[in-house]
Amino acid sequence: MNSHAILNHNLLLMNTKAAPSPDALIQVANLTKTYHNGAGPIEVLRKVDFAIHLGEMVAVMGPSGSGKSSLLYILGLLQLPTSGSYHWQDTDLLTLSRGQQAEFRRRRLGFVFQACDLLENSTVYENLEFPLIYEGVERQERPPRIQEALQRVNLEHRLYHSSNLLSGGERQRVAVARALVNRPQLILADEPTGQLDRRHGHLVMEHFEEIIAVGDTAVVVVTHDPDIAARCSRVCPMEDGVLCGLR
Amino acid sequence: MRVSLRQVVRHRRRYIGVVLAIAIGVAGFISIITMGQDVKRNFNEDLAFIGGVTIIRTVLEFRPQLPLSEFHPDTVEAIQKIPGVTVASLVGMTRLNFFWKGEPDNLSVVAVDENFWKMRNLTAISGTLFSPQAVKERQRVVVLGKRLAQSLFGTDQVAGRTIEMGHDVYRVTGIVGGLRDINMEKSVFVPLTTAVDRFSRELVRDRMYVRCATWDDVPAVAAAIPQAVKAHQSAKNLVVEVSWENLEHVKKVAFWIEFFIYLAFAATLILGGMGIWNIMMAAVRTRTREIGLKKAMGAEDRDILSQFLTEALCLSLVAAVIGVALGRVLVELLGFWIGMRPPEELFFTCLAISLVFAVVLGVGAGLYPSLQAARMEVVSATRYE
Repeated sequence: MNSHAILNHNLLLMNTKAAPSPDALIQVANLTKTYHNGAGPIEVLRKVDFAIHLGEMVAVMGPSGSGKSSLLYILGLLQLPTSGSYHWQDTDLLTLSRGQQAEFRRRRLGFVFQACDLLENSTVYENLEFPLIYEGVERQERPPRIQEALQRVNLEHRLYHSSNLLSGGERQRVAVARALVNRPQLILADEPTGQLDRRHGHLVMEHFEEIIAVGDTAVVVVTHDPDIAARCSRVCPMEDGVLCGLR
Repeated sequence: MRVSLRQVVRHRRRYIGVVLAIAIGVAGFISIITMGQDVKRNFNEDLAFIGGVTIIRTVLEFRPQLPLSEFHPDTVEAIQKIPGVTVASLVGMTRLNFFWKGEPDNLSVVAVDENFWKMRNLTAISGTLFSPQAVKERQRVVVLGKRLAQSLFGTDQVAGRTIEMGHDVYRVTGIVGGLRDINMEKSVFVPLTTAVDRFSRELVRDRMYVRCATWDDVPAVAAAIPQAVKAHQSAKNLVVEVSWENLEHVKKVAFWIEFFIYLAFAATLILGGMGIWNIMMAAVRTRTREIGLKKAMGAEDRDILSQFLTEALCLSLVAAVIGVALGRVLVELLGFWIGMRPPEELFFTCLAISLVFAVVLGVGAGLYPSLQAARMEVVSATRYE
């Protein structure tokens, strides 16, 4: 099956599965995002509606500049939409204060960025410890949780290695482990395989599949790789800030 | 705190210049404040002797309408007790006949008590200056001025020689140096007690030299002397002479020296503070992605603020601790050098001030960069190249 065939297959799946439901983990409606610069307003998201459930892995696909990263940042409360609503179960997330949003991020969300963003000059342990420090986890409780997260990506033997000395694939798996260490319900991954070769890219996706298989987590993956998208439960194609054909 | 300390340790090479600048400033501050009084006293002494500005000359002037008067021993004692007085020395002067190689001549004689050498900070060029014991025991000993010794003996090696004054023979103990007065250099110095015994009729003890601890004490002591004299004797013909003009000059010189020293240390500390500010701004810039990443992990603005502020604080505190240690070494060296020991509590006061100052410097210089870091937008920070 070629890439286009996979995409069409997933679109079909989404059309049948994507209707908003009261048991959705997150639900966004009429979401718009407009940036202003000297040349005038730039609308990067236009009336986006969709819902995500626990145990789902959703791919947001689209060309560069289509607004998929902006959507991910809004879902991660890293930036606010210009208008629309964003609910986490019964909670309206857009009414939270800046501090409450930060607290929400560290308790419920996990991020994996494209550029294998690990803290430089720090060990793997230290990289995974930060989310726990911010969450206020006691020092003696941190090592088992860090070990557990690293075991899920098969990197427990790299615990005290410097992040600078890891390979690209290992760095991205550490980033996945860091996103998992706080036991989030939603993992947001921005091009998580973008800088990895095919083998390591699929390894990272395998980890995501294992995570959603448990059923208590959902994953949103921004990608432009149809092979990666094909491994997701649903695909949301985006073009010019519009989520095409899906609810 | 642990995270910030880790960052400081990991980037220690970047921070070392700033830390050293602050440490030197703190060490200078501690040594100046701790040793300040002792150094100033020493400095005063050296400068004061050049201009004689801390010496007050007190004379009971001869006036025809008033009886000839001398300073009483009680007056001398009362003046000694005035706060700020280091030493007071009673002096009598006269001219005596003496015979040298069979020829009669006359000689300027200065009769001095046991405090005179200390009061003028005089030392012997050769031999010794007669001791307090010689004064007490009224010994027939003399010390010669340098010019007199040369004119009499043609050499500086005069200890043990004798001269005949009046009807008595006196043993020379040495030559006094550092007089800076040509008439004094041509005089012979005799113990005051001996002079009173041997030629009291020719001798008038009408002058007293009072040396103050510092030049700051001079005005108060000069004002207190007439009261102290009046309490024990008539002071109608009392004249108190202070070299006000020289005193002002010396004070001005000292003020500028002190000012420039303080300025140098203040500049070091200000540069250190600016260094912290600059280095923290650079750290915020180079660690922009790290900040974005931490915020994405759930760090609140206050977490980022406190991390960078703690880093700045760590820098200034580490610098202060090094500065305190350096300051302690400097204080010990200075103490050894000038032979004085400052009070321990003064050092600990300085230590406390330095630590408080370090906190103020760290917070002051680190606040703006830390606020910049805390207010950074997550999206632009995570996308920063």
